[in-house]
Order: sequence, then C-alpha cells, then structure tokens
Amino acid sequence: MSNEKRSIKSLLLGTWNTKTIVGIAIGAALFGVLMVFGGIRVATNTSLTSAMVVVVVVGALFGPLPAALAAGLGNVIADLISGYGFWFDWSIGNAVLGFFVGLLPLYGARIEEGVFQVKHAVIYTILCIIGNALAFGIVTPVFTMLFFSSELTITWIQAFSAIISNASILVVIGIPVLFLLAKRNARATNLSKED
Amino acid sequence: MDDKRLFVNTTPGNRFLDKLTGKTKVRTFLILIVLLIATWDIRVILPFFILSWIALISLKPDWKKVWGVMAFVVAMNLFNLFLVWVVRPDYGLNICGGSTVIFKFTDFYIITSETLWYFMVRFLKLLGTFTISLTFIQCITPSEMAAGLYSCKVPYKVCTIFSIAFRYIPDISRDFHSIKISMQMRGMELDSEKTSLWTRLKQNVLILVPLIITSFDRVGNIANGMDLRGYGKNKTRTYYAEHEEGPGDKKMKVVYMLFLAIMIFVIIWRFFFPAEYEVWCPWIS
Repeated sequence: MSNEKRSIKSLLLGTWNTKTIVGIAIGAALFGVLMVFGGIRVATNTSLTSAMVVVVVVGALFGPLPAALAAGLGNVIADLISGYGFWFDWSIGNAVLGFFVGLLPLYGARIEEGVFQVKHAVIYTILCIIGNALAFGIVTPVFTMLFFSSELTITWIQAFSAIISNASILVVIGIPVLFLLAKRNARATNLSKED
Repeated sequence: MDDKRLFVNTTPGNRFLDKLTGKTKVRTFLILIVLLIATWDIRVILPFFILSWIALISLKPDWKKVWGVMAFVVAMNLFNLFLVWVVRPDYGLNICGGSTVIFKFTDFYIITSETLWYFMVRFLKLLGTFTISLTFIQCITPSEMAAGLYSCKVPYKVCTIFSIAFRYIPDISRDFHSIKISMQMRGMELDSEKTSLWTRLKQNVLILVPLIITSFDRVGNIANGMDLRGYGKNKTRTYYAEHEEGPGDKKMKVVYMLFLAIMIFVIIWRFFFPAEYEVWCPWIS
C-alpha cells in the first residue's frame, strides 16, 4: 500500500492502466444487465435499480472518471440489450451522477486501503444528492431538449422519480456496501511484506 | 436474468449480415440510429422502419425470443404514450399544429387525430430504433464491435471497454444462475408461490452481493492476462476479428454512404429550415 500523495488530477482521472479498463468494462456490463433485469420500475425510463450499487463499487475502486464511464456506457449497453430505444440524454445524466458518486477518493475515503468513516459517509450522502439533482434535474432535461425536443413534463416526472429512487438506493444500499468493502480491504492491509 | 432475453453472440454466423466486417456493421448501425433520432418525419421513418424489419427477417432469428422482447418493448412504449396523453391530452396541437377532436371524455381529456398521429410517428420511430438495435446485436460479436468502433476513430481503450463488457454479459448471466442455485441449495426459497414478493426481492438483493464481488475479483485476472499479452503497449491496434472486405461490404458501403447522405441532409434541413411544427402531418400542410 503506497502512502504517497496523488495529485488531484490523477485522482479525478484515475490511473489508466489495464486494470482500470477491465474494471470499467465489467462495471458497465453489470450496470447494463442490472439496469434491465435488476430493478423495480417506478416510472417509465426510471426504476429503483440495483445498478447504482455497481457505480459505487467502481467509484470506490477506480475513481470518478471510471465511475462516470461505467455508468454512461452501462446505460448505452442497457439500451442496446433491452431495446427501450436509445436515450443518450439519460446516459449522459447517469455519467454525471457516476462522476459525483465516484468522487470518494477526493475527500479521503480510500476504500482500497480500508478507510471509510462516518464523516466520509456524510460527505458521500451530500454529494449523492447534489449529483442526482444536477444530473437528472439539469443535465438530462437540457439534453432531452437538444436531442428530442420532447415533452418536458414527462421528463420532469421521470427526473423526479429518478432522483428519489437513485438517491435512496445510493444511500440505503451504497453506504453499507462501502463499509463492507472497506472492511474487506482493511483485513488485507494487516499483512506486512517480509524482507 | 437468464439467457432467454440475451442475444450476445461470440462466434459469427454465416448469414449475409454476419459475413460483413465489423466496420460496415458498426458504421451502418450508428448512421441509422442517429438518423432515426434526428428525424420526426414519417416520410423518412417509414422506409427505414420497413428496411429494419427486412434486415431482421433476413437474419432468421429465434422468433420466440424476439417476440418476447418485442411484446415487452411495445407494452413499455404504449404505456409511455399513455403517460404523455394523461399529462397533455392535446399534445398534437403543439407538435403537429392542429386539433381535430374525435372523442371527448371531459373538456380536458380529449382524443384528437393529431395527437394520435404524433403517437403513431413516435411509436414507429422507437420501434424502428429497437428493431435496428436488435438486428445489430444479433449479427455482431464483441470483437467485431471493438474493431468497428476503432474504425470510427474511437480510442482503442474505449473499444476494449465495449468489447469486454459485451463479452462479459453472458458470464454475468451464468454467474447469477449458479449463485442462485447454490443459494437455493442452502435453503433459500425463491419459488413465487411459496414466498411473498418482498422476501423474494430481498433474496434477489442477497444474490447481487456475491455477484458483484466475484465480478470485481475477476478484474485482476483479466487485466494480468491482457498485460501479459502486451495490451496497451502501442498507440494503435489491429484486430484479429476484422477480416478483409468482401463483395457484401462493397455493396453495403454504397448503401451506408447513401444513408449518411440522407442523415446529413435531414439534420441540415432541420437545422436551417426548421418547420413551424416538429411533426409533419398529411392533412395539415
């Protein structure tokens, strides 16, 4: 475990090695499949989906940009395998949300080293709510206007239910998962390398 | 979450569309999707809708599987349209520019022929997009998809993300199935007749935890395998799955260039000469 400080830029972008690429790919695949099969439908285009948990894990292990890519590409994959039609506005919204969720290492919650405390959980909750509101309250409607010039009332209803359902999943399931992951990784750090 | 609804191929077949190169498949697909998203004109949508069905039929797919997915998508879209109607019954006035009342429930809840026209256009548009993506996913393999995206100047690391993700989907389905069986063997009841919906939901969440953990545990193995084979050492990449262009590709190249021309025309037309109303309606203009 390296204790050297990493620059903000490298924390934001993540380290782009093969491991990160595979991690994003598997995250995107899980996100896509869970989005189609692992949810309870709340309104059209939105569901109380367990897919968000995957974004939390990717964010914890790899950082914000990988989490954003996993969520965005995962949504494209979900659209492709499910056939709801392509809603790139929602994919972009999910990517923005993924970015906010994945900001974990930036405020010192280093899951891979087993560091996740109550104060991190509080910051995480706040960021989840801000990210949700920004992603589905502003970004998605703007892109919906650009792409489809579609009926916005529906988008608002969908956005509202998306905000509520995603935020509740991210907080209610996400925080226990983060504690679990941190505990799992903390056990591994007790081992010290013998010379 | 079983194999019934997944259409991921890992080996190419020998139908006409299968034999094309990944480059042709991906380019045609992307052009068609952008075209269908960009247009609201039934005169453009209808030919492509019919074309997409011809393509789907030419693949001779497993129709039982296709109807299953199709029924779901049609139901979803109809429900979506119903929601639009509930919120704005007279939506046709905004988007087609007319309001011919056919039937009146109350003063607010009316059925106008323009709204119905808009619903039909939208339905055909979404179903067309769906048929195209269904055709695409049935005739492509993950490696061909990566090769095709790479030919569209997408950075190859992103292409790899796509191909690994697609390759991994059947594995997720298999893992889910085996975790479910082993959990049932330990006494977890998933039968819909014996347990309530809520407990079944909770148990499905319990399956997710090992599914996610095993999936991410595998990241290290896959990444090591790729590193050992020298992945990511060079700036460019060639694909084993990409074969030489055959006669079919040369024909398809003409076809997709034509589609590209239509797409550019539609987008430019919409941008520079925006119609007063988004959806063209035969009895209004």
